[in-house]
Amino acid sequence: MSDVSTEAPAQSAKRTVFFDGVSSRRRQVMLRLGDALEIGEEGGTPVRWAYADIRRADSPAGILRLACMSAPPLARLEIREVALAAEVTAHCPGLDEHQTTRRGVAKIVGWSVAAAVSIVCVVLFGVPLAADRLAPLVPKPVERRIGDAAEVQVKTIFGRSVCEDPAGKAAFTKLVNRLRDAAGLDDDTMTAGVLPTSVPNAFALPGGKVFVMKGLLDKAESPDELAGIPAHELGHLKHHDNMRGLIYNGGTSFLIGLLFGDVTGSSAVIFASRSVVEASYSREAETGADTFAIEIMHALGRSPKPAAELMFRITGREGGSGFTILASHPLTEDRLARMTKEDRPASGPPLLTDAEWQALKGICGSGKI
Amino acid sequence: MNDLQWAPIGPPQPIPPPLPPARVDFSGDRSEFRKLVTEGAMLELVTFGFYRFWLVTDIRRHLWSNTAIDGDAVEYTGRAKELLIGFLFALAILVPIYLAYFLVGIEFERWQGFASTPLFISFYAFGQFAIFRARRYRLTRTVWRGVRCWMDGSGSAYSVRAMLWGLLVFLTLGLALPWREASLERYKMQHTHFGGLRGDFEADGWTFFKRGWWLWLLSPIALIIFPLAPFFYAQFKAREWRWWLDGIRIGGVSLSSNLPTNAFHGLYWKAIGWWLLLSVLFGLYVAGAAGLVAAAGVSIVGPDAIARSIPLLSMMVIGYFALALALNVVMRMYLQHDIWVTVLETLEVHNIAAAADVRGSGELASALGEGFADGLDVAGF
Repeated sequence: MSDVSTEAPAQSAKRTVFFDGVSSRRRQVMLRLGDALEIGEEGGTPVRWAYADIRRADSPAGILRLACMSAPPLARLEIREVALAAEVTAHCPGLDEHQTTRRGVAKIVGWSVAAAVSIVCVVLFGVPLAADRLAPLVPKPVERRIGDAAEVQVKTIFGRSVCEDPAGKAAFTKLVNRLRDAAGLDDDTMTAGVLPTSVPNAFALPGGKVFVMKGLLDKAESPDELAGIPAHELGHLKHHDNMRGLIYNGGTSFLIGLLFGDVTGSSAVIFASRSVVEASYSREAETGADTFAIEIMHALGRSPKPAAELMFRITGREGGSGFTILASHPLTEDRLARMTKEDRPASGPPLLTDAEWQALKGICGSGKI
Repeated sequence: MNDLQWAPIGPPQPIPPPLPPARVDFSGDRSEFRKLVTEGAMLELVTFGFYRFWLVTDIRRHLWSNTAIDGDAVEYTGRAKELLIGFLFALAILVPIYLAYFLVGIEFERWQGFASTPLFISFYAFGQFAIFRARRYRLTRTVWRGVRCWMDGSGSAYSVRAMLWGLLVFLTLGLALPWREASLERYKMQHTHFGGLRGDFEADGWTFFKRGWWLWLLSPIALIIFPLAPFFYAQFKAREWRWWLDGIRIGGVSLSSNLPTNAFHGLYWKAIGWWLLLSVLFGLYVAGAAGLVAAAGVSIVGPDAIARSIPLLSMMVIGYFALALALNVVMRMYLQHDIWVTVLETLEVHNIAAAADVRGSGELASALGEGFADGLDVAGF
């Protein structure tokens, strides 16, 4: 009977469950709330947890689970009795010190907004600036390598190699050379060619490669109409627009793609806003190339207007269809208006003789594409 | 003292019947979880997604701590800051790799058009590595009865296996998938430990194949009659889950599940229903916004079209944010929380006594793997 009376003070000793963080054994222990929390297993020396070190661990509702910073990190005390839990809680001043508070959340929000603002600034101002500054500095051999890579790709897409009819090729070379001389491009490695595809388009690749597609050639009715298009592409080369675009696109998609990677949803918004930024950026480049084309045509004593008419014939009116804010090129009617303003009577010799023009039209052989 | 001697010394007691399997109970409150993910989704949008580390951690803490095996709840000890640091480290490693990828790609393209495509596969391999390491992170943060799970094994060895099996699955048009899953899971489970107990995976590819081959056979039909696809997918997932759970062993402890094959139909259809409803609402909103702008007499055509499109554009952005937020919540409710609960309800743990006194061991793994998985946009467990 005397044994029982020593365990009797039920106010200070309570049964509960303890995991010592060393083994997974479920230990039935007695709790004693003295100057520290005493956790005593039958027949063992009690473990003492200082109240200030006790922290709340995650648990289901209805169970108070405690950890202690000065005990093994995974040691856990589980209290299921509400009254005892309240009593222990009252003793532990730092119980919830480690939890994320509202202030903590506000801090996260603040830092994220700061990070986002800085990234947006880099995308809007930093990357374009870097692209403008870096593009002219890219060494010619590097530019040429990138151009080579792109050319291989282009030829893979359009299947065959450039059109080779000798007379047509001579005429095309003459045309491009006249434009090039007027442009003051001294790039001796510059190549140009006609690609046998029905798409009416033309493009310039880094390292001085200008391609005109057969579709455009077929739609052109005079050398002047055609000449404006390669002149425009030469403008891109002169302004290093390819390299600028490459650095710009690479930089922005890299920043946005990595940082906002899998952010469900918001990445699409960022993508949308990016394409707006990019479109205006490339619209600027296109307008610059147009200016350049106008200058070349004037230097050659020809009018830039026919080229704009050719473009208009191909695209038709563009305004009113969809979001003009997302268009990468200026609207064709705007370009036509601009080039019409720059229209001057021809003062120089024709760019190609009639015979040369006919030869150029037949550069890809008889009609088959 | 006399009391102890009353028991007669008779014939040996018959062996007690095996203990009934231990249950796994989920005690979480669904509305609490809804509140958690709703607030989390809003914070995620306000913080441009950076809150995802905290939200993912909170979701895991909720799911883990409300899951009780044999009466004792599991605990997730991972913290969001670890994920953030892991992500930043992963970025620091991925940035040079992306650049190198770009430069090598150019050289390949010079040699042959689109020759750089295979380089993309290297990112897939890296993704497999990330999946393995992410699982290791999650396991080392999983604690039950004061002992943590942990993993050894090598992420790169796993990645090589995953790639080779992936090639085989590709060559057999998906037929080898069950054996791929069995082999990869065996590798992962054999390197999984709970304290001193070593895991294993005893399910084989053949069993999985027998349970799901007809789904593989019928999958082309789902491509044509697409409303069938969710049924097929739900069936597949349910069979996969059950097969996976039945195969898991940790020391002498084994799992079994009687998950019915139609268990997920409702969940997937609810998610799709919400998705449709929200899409329709978004469509109406966009139409309404455009109508409003048109009614206000603002034309989006003309020389200063850019400035004039801004009100409509910003209204659409706001609407899109709301849509993304709502979809986020729907996905997490049905496809994370509800699947978790559905699966746990069917789970039984046999011979849990084998885990009654296990010594703790194993080191914590870093969250770098989760960072890679995040940066590369791969998911998997």
